[in-house]
Amino acid sequence: MTVTTGAAVPRRIIRRGTAFRDAGPPVALVVIFAVFAALSPQFRSIANVQNIVDAAAVLAVVTCGITFVLMMGSIDLSSAGVMGASALTVSLLVANNRNDNDLGLLGIAVAVAMGCAFGFLSGLALVTLKVPSFMATLGVSAIGLGVATLMFAGVQPNISDVMLKSWAIERFLGLSYLTWIAAACILAGWLIQRYTRLGRYAYAIGGAEEVLTLSGVRVKPYKVAVFTLAGAFYGLAGVMVTSQLGAGLVQAGNGYDFSAITAAVVGGTLLTGGRGGILHSAVGVLLVMVLTNGLVQVGVSPYWQGGVEGLIVVAAVAAAVIPQRRRNQVVK
Amino acid sequence: MKIEFRPTAVLLTLSLAVAGLTACSEAPAGEADPNAAGACKPADVKLVGQVRNESNPYEASWLNGGDAFAKSVGLTQQRLTYGGDSTKQQEQISQILAGDTKCLVMNVLPNGDSDTAPIVKGADKAGAFLVTQWNKPADLKPSDYKTWISHITYNGVESGKQIGDALAKSIGGSGGIIALQGVLDTAAAKDRFAGLQESLKANPGVQLLDQQTANFSRAEALTVTKTLLTKHGDKIKGIWTANDDMALGALEALQQAGKSGKVAVVGIDAVPDAVTAVQNGTMTATVSSDGTWQGGIGLAIGFCAATGKIKVADIAADNRAFFAEQFLITKDNAAQFAAPKTDPADFDCANVFKRVAGPLK
Repeated sequence: MTVTTGAAVPRRIIRRGTAFRDAGPPVALVVIFAVFAALSPQFRSIANVQNIVDAAAVLAVVTCGITFVLMMGSIDLSSAGVMGASALTVSLLVANNRNDNDLGLLGIAVAVAMGCAFGFLSGLALVTLKVPSFMATLGVSAIGLGVATLMFAGVQPNISDVMLKSWAIERFLGLSYLTWIAAACILAGWLIQRYTRLGRYAYAIGGAEEVLTLSGVRVKPYKVAVFTLAGAFYGLAGVMVTSQLGAGLVQAGNGYDFSAITAAVVGGTLLTGGRGGILHSAVGVLLVMVLTNGLVQVGVSPYWQGGVEGLIVVAAVAAAVIPQRRRNQVVK
Repeated sequence: MKIEFRPTAVLLTLSLAVAGLTACSEAPAGEADPNAAGACKPADVKLVGQVRNESNPYEASWLNGGDAFAKSVGLTQQRLTYGGDSTKQQEQISQILAGDTKCLVMNVLPNGDSDTAPIVKGADKAGAFLVTQWNKPADLKPSDYKTWISHITYNGVESGKQIGDALAKSIGGSGGIIALQGVLDTAAAKDRFAGLQESLKANPGVQLLDQQTANFSRAEALTVTKTLLTKHGDKIKGIWTANDDMALGALEALQQAGKSGKVAVVGIDAVPDAVTAVQNGTMTATVSSDGTWQGGIGLAIGFCAATGKIKVADIAADNRAFFAEQFLITKDNAAQFAAPKTDPADFDCANVFKRVAGPLK
């Protein structure tokens, strides 16, 4: 209670400050989009815009999960392992070429639930064993990859489930079903962040955990809950990758851990916690996708792309934090 | 109970432990007598196969090939995987070499070029028979060592050209293609792409519209192919990829773009899914190094040397480091490769160098 009333007094000032501070990433997105659109006619075609949004779907879902953890001031590197385990689980439970299972939606639910379980494990290791989130989630990622490798057993499971395959192929209003799922996740994430105690506390924990504890809030269950929620998003992301690739891959989540953190940070969700949110991260995801797509469309040599991409990301983050620089903030 | 760590005590304990370990590992190495090597009873031979991980079909089939060979001589293969982690690979090797190395045979896939030297030196010191595959620095040669019998690799330029030619043929010798490269700083990616360029010279009607990297990854290939499909549209008649995982990603992208079957796709490695795709016509061609053979042959060469049927010193120089034969898989012969199995005759001591396609220079 103290927290909310304390913030209520200088509300107008804060709000104006927030608006200014949050403008950076969307402006960067518009500028980068405009530059690529000017350079390449293919880039600005409707088909390519659809393509960018479709390609962003999986990263968006992973980023939804990671955003809650980052808001709390923790870090989560478990997505690669959790996605791998979830991808193998779902591909072995829906109709596939390895066994006779055909659980359909139930199989997907099991995979997401398993993601939850992995997230729960990370959270538990953090609050009960006091393992720093960086190490706890890295360990859980390794466990996930181990579980996935065991299930893989040398033969790639290819899915033949019509519904799951159609997610990547069928379109509604020009965008693939996966993209709509990602949009639903962003909406759900935003609602959780805005209207539930879990979302509010995640913010508060990242902002000032000590204050929260002193006010008598038991933060531990909320921390575990946040990691569990994040795990659910990774589980779903693993299912989505499986739908896209038509097969369960141990490497399904390769690289998503750091891409998601990059996207969240580029969007203005700070690693220190207490700032940003789902919508910021969504903008960050689009920024990253526009960048990777645009560099190919304008014909930057693949030998240069990695470096150029990194450079633009650093520049975008720098631009996004310009309004904060005046606040004498310590950067670590 | 509270345990306090005293830095000096910890340091002392650690150094003692290290000293102890070194002593242990050096003792058997000193005993190993190179002259005695080659006189092992078949039953005393210990077979070790080491690859990165079992989570990709190629390396899994490699270990299965090793098992098949081991079974054929009444032994079992010790399967080692190091998860693509160079440090872990070295640890496993030194652990194995710390045991009884007299009749030890190792068939190793080094993680990278630079990982080969310590493995070779360790095995040489311990007198263990070693066959390495794929990765080694150019200046490190088996012929300079007593128990490093052979290094086997494949000519990437040739495989890149083979599938390039197959692609050109399937699009009727003219039209635009795109290329998906592997991890750009690996020898495999460079050689295979050089092979494509040779093929392009030989097929002037084929035009390379664009080339990008998808880092040997199925997921990246999916995204990159979709992007290139929007960039070049119907001008793309064929997709050349530096491995099958990327080819499979490209196939998914084509399916999602509603172009399934309209664009020819080729890859390298012959992973089971790609072979199936070639068999049912959605993919045009792939190249097989025959992973099961690779898993078996390294152990077979080592076994023949350990039991004295082959004398390492007598092996022709060209067979100490060589390119092995590889096979272009098209619709005509895909059925043959769909069920990978080993032929025991390949592992007969008289035949172990039958697949030498040329010396590695």
